[in-house]
Amino acid sequence: MTSASMPKRTDADLRFRFNGTEYSARPGETLAAALLRAGVPMLSEPASDARGAFCWMGWCQECRVRHEGRWVEACRLFVHDGLEAHGRRADDAG
Amino acid sequence: MNSKYDIAIVGGGIMGCATALRLAEGGMKPAIFEKGDLCQGASGVNAGTLSLQIKRVRLMEYALRGHEIWESMGDAVGFRKTGGYTLAFNGREAELLEHRQNLKREAGAPIEFVSTDDLRKSEPGIAHSVVAASYCAEDGYANSSLTGQYYRAQLKAAGIPYFERSAVDAIETDGKGFTLKIADTAVYVPRLLLAAGAWLGPLAAKLGFDLPVRARVNTVSVTERMPPLFATVIGHATGLLTMKQKPNGTVLIGGGWQGLGSPETGRGRVNAETLAPNVALACHAVPALKTARLLRSWTGFEANVPDFYPVAGAVPGVENAFMLGCVRGGFTIGPYIGQLMGDYILGRTLERPLFETGRKFEGAN
Amino acid sequence: MQDSWDIAVLGGGPAGGEAARAAAAYGARIVLIDEQARPGGQVWRAKDTAREDVGDSSETAAGNLHRARLEKSTVTFLSQARLWHIERAEDQWHLHLLVDGCSQRHAARSVILAPGAREFVQPFPGWTTPGVFGLAGVTALMKSQQCPPGRRSVVSGGGPLAIFAASEILRLGGEVAAVVTPNSKAEWLRCWPEFMANPSLTLRGAEMMMRLKRAGVPILWRHLVSRASGDPTLRAVQVTPCHANWTPRGGESAIEADALCVGHGLVPNSEVAVLAGLTPQYDAQQGGWIAASGPLGETELPGLYLCGDGAGLRGAAASQNQGARVGEAAAMALNGQRPGKTSHRTSAAERFGRAMTRLAIPQPGLARLTDADTIVCRCEAIPRRKLDAAIDAGATSLDALKSATRCGMGPCGGKYCLTNAARLIGEKTGKQLADIPPPVPRPPLFPLPVDAVGAGFDYDNLPIPAPAPL
Repeated sequence: MTSASMPKRTDADLRFRFNGTEYSARPGETLAAALLRAGVPMLSEPASDARGAFCWMGWCQECRVRHEGRWVEACRLFVHDGLEAHGRRADDAG
Repeated sequence: MNSKYDIAIVGGGIMGCATALRLAEGGMKPAIFEKGDLCQGASGVNAGTLSLQIKRVRLMEYALRGHEIWESMGDAVGFRKTGGYTLAFNGREAELLEHRQNLKREAGAPIEFVSTDDLRKSEPGIAHSVVAASYCAEDGYANSSLTGQYYRAQLKAAGIPYFERSAVDAIETDGKGFTLKIADTAVYVPRLLLAAGAWLGPLAAKLGFDLPVRARVNTVSVTERMPPLFATVIGHATGLLTMKQKPNGTVLIGGGWQGLGSPETGRGRVNAETLAPNVALACHAVPALKTARLLRSWTGFEANVPDFYPVAGAVPGVENAFMLGCVRGGFTIGPYIGQLMGDYILGRTLERPLFETGRKFEGAN
Repeated sequence: MQDSWDIAVLGGGPAGGEAARAAAAYGARIVLIDEQARPGGQVWRAKDTAREDVGDSSETAAGNLHRARLEKSTVTFLSQARLWHIERAEDQWHLHLLVDGCSQRHAARSVILAPGAREFVQPFPGWTTPGVFGLAGVTALMKSQQCPPGRRSVVSGGGPLAIFAASEILRLGGEVAAVVTPNSKAEWLRCWPEFMANPSLTLRGAEMMMRLKRAGVPILWRHLVSRASGDPTLRAVQVTPCHANWTPRGGESAIEADALCVGHGLVPNSEVAVLAGLTPQYDAQQGGWIAASGPLGETELPGLYLCGDGAGLRGAAASQNQGARVGEAAAMALNGQRPGKTSHRTSAAERFGRAMTRLAIPQPGLARLTDADTIVCRCEAIPRRKLDAAIDAGATSLDALKSATRCGMGPCGGKYCLTNAARLIGEKTGKQLADIPPPVPRPPLFPLPVDAVGAGFDYDNLPIPAPAPL
């Protein structure tokens, strides 16, 4: 059987930006988990209907964020160095 | 035998409901028997396009009246008159477009040809590879999924009884009226209208009438909410793409690409082999769609007879029995042809003729 | 890309992994398809990220064994692959998968579906507040990401999952403010025979309870979380005592917390089976709508087998046993054989799983948590009052209710609202859930990038049919 191997932990933390603010993540961390660890459970932008990750299995879509012009589930998006993402805004909430 | 109802309507889609409302206005007591839920067949799952540019020449007058009625139904059915463009991407399609739209214009549709410059100005999200386009200001859409709620409310207001999840298993006639067998109950009525869409054939057969009904399995897809990409209803010269972005940002993609299955075997199924080119054609017309996510695809059975014109009138050889349905583009003309059908049953003078039910169908087998 | 297999197994958890391994032992070409990077499913989910300060949980250890066994087998593992459509064509099953941003079609003579289960949560005021999470979801988060859900968590649910989650939060360095469970101590004690028959599982449970006790975590028996509050993110959780049928007794007390993990049982993921053509039936004891399957996973469709929680909740241990039987039967069937008559005796593990599942099955009083203003459909932000009004206006089926209100039309595809919507219909019409036609899953089974299906076409080669008649 072939399978992806577990990412090795490196000393260097990964840097990423969410809604314009910089955060760090461990290798192998998903965007939603890295933000949660940083004390950011809310993934929608301020002033919109406040929502955050809910099912942690990629199904409920509550954690979707804009990444490279597309919606992706933050609980399935592994952070890479320099990643940038934005939460739902009031005008595209729902 | 006494009957509570003057007429039973079998099939609670747009046409059956619209006929019932007209009959009630005229003083009759109709009742609707629907095997599923009101307007959950083709009426409620089609793409909702109201475009004169894809209507058949001979049905144009009916479609124009249909548009007026949809407009009067308004917000309750999500009606929007957005205007619509039909696109051609190569010379062959441009010729096709010119030929077809000229004939439709002669039939009364206010269709004009527009330059690609004008198209770009008004719809910058449309691909620059368009070589020719036509425009119709009357085009728009309604939200087909709201038709059930709309007609349910209308029927209630008019005091018309409707019975959902009430499939008619058998029809017996004694020469004066009809006994409908619905599960364990029997309903006797002096008149009968069959308006069961893709399921019309087997019902007509219960009256001994052979109607060659076929069903297209049309695929419709919807994306998740997107920023504004385009404002009008978009079509393709061949008629094989319809596209609109709803006020909530979702984009509805249709065009009659064929799924699998048949009315007899239950639900239709989405075919990945036709879904892919349908979606590709949509992206070709509006490139920014490529960044969207597809939320849902489904199919609806669009009934037709071999000439693709409506079947609307009396069932030949069966007194007091009528049938209605089987037209390509039935969503647009449904509310109007239902009114005409009602007038016909009420014995009124018709604003426009119905469609001969006993005609020979070429290619029928 | 196209590939052809003897058997495709969907879902790499205990059931699917074992099914794949058992089938491979018969020499069949097997592909095991899973959404995650490595097999294990949600219950044995692999770590995505390492933390040297904490060791492995028992679930991680069980998963590691599962992965090692698969590693040694001839099974081909297709990772991070999501099934968006399944069709039967030309005597084969066609599986349409999203892999690395592209749609791939895989053909298989037989398919074993082992898609597992997802969370059921009864909507309650404030449940959309960021910081409120699904209980099973948080266990998946902790297994994969080694991260507690917050600084101070309330954990709530029936059955063993709440105890496990609370214990894991502590192990990962979080604080647990309280465990809130609608079960009574007596209900747990009634499972004594199952505990006695499964000493190792019982021991693990006892260790977890000890950990909670050492940390001084209060366990509120016969309590429910009735409300979550905080703007914009969670600040407090309101709890209320409840009756044996889970009806809230009223009288709330608040617990300060920045995370709430709440679940009211699991729901079998039956969507794939239904999309493949099976008809689901509602069975509360099995967790919800499930398609019928026989003792060896066989269904009324040729070459289609079901196993694991997705075919009816049974728990990891029983899923593993059942998966192995189903995998063997599917492989033998391809060779025109049938497994010998080994009459299956319900194993101790299976009885344990069923007993634990019973503790988590939502009781009728739970529905009272959803008041008129509570959002039922999260995606479309539809409150209960709007659904009630539509049902009163005659939308008494899921299809009609969906059409009238958009409930279930959002990006989750109704996975988190339609069970609740069906309950509301049942309440208003006096019907049992089993008498309400089930939801109809539509492809794609998750939001599918348009360019994954629509890319790769040259316009001139698009198979555009003849124009519509004039």
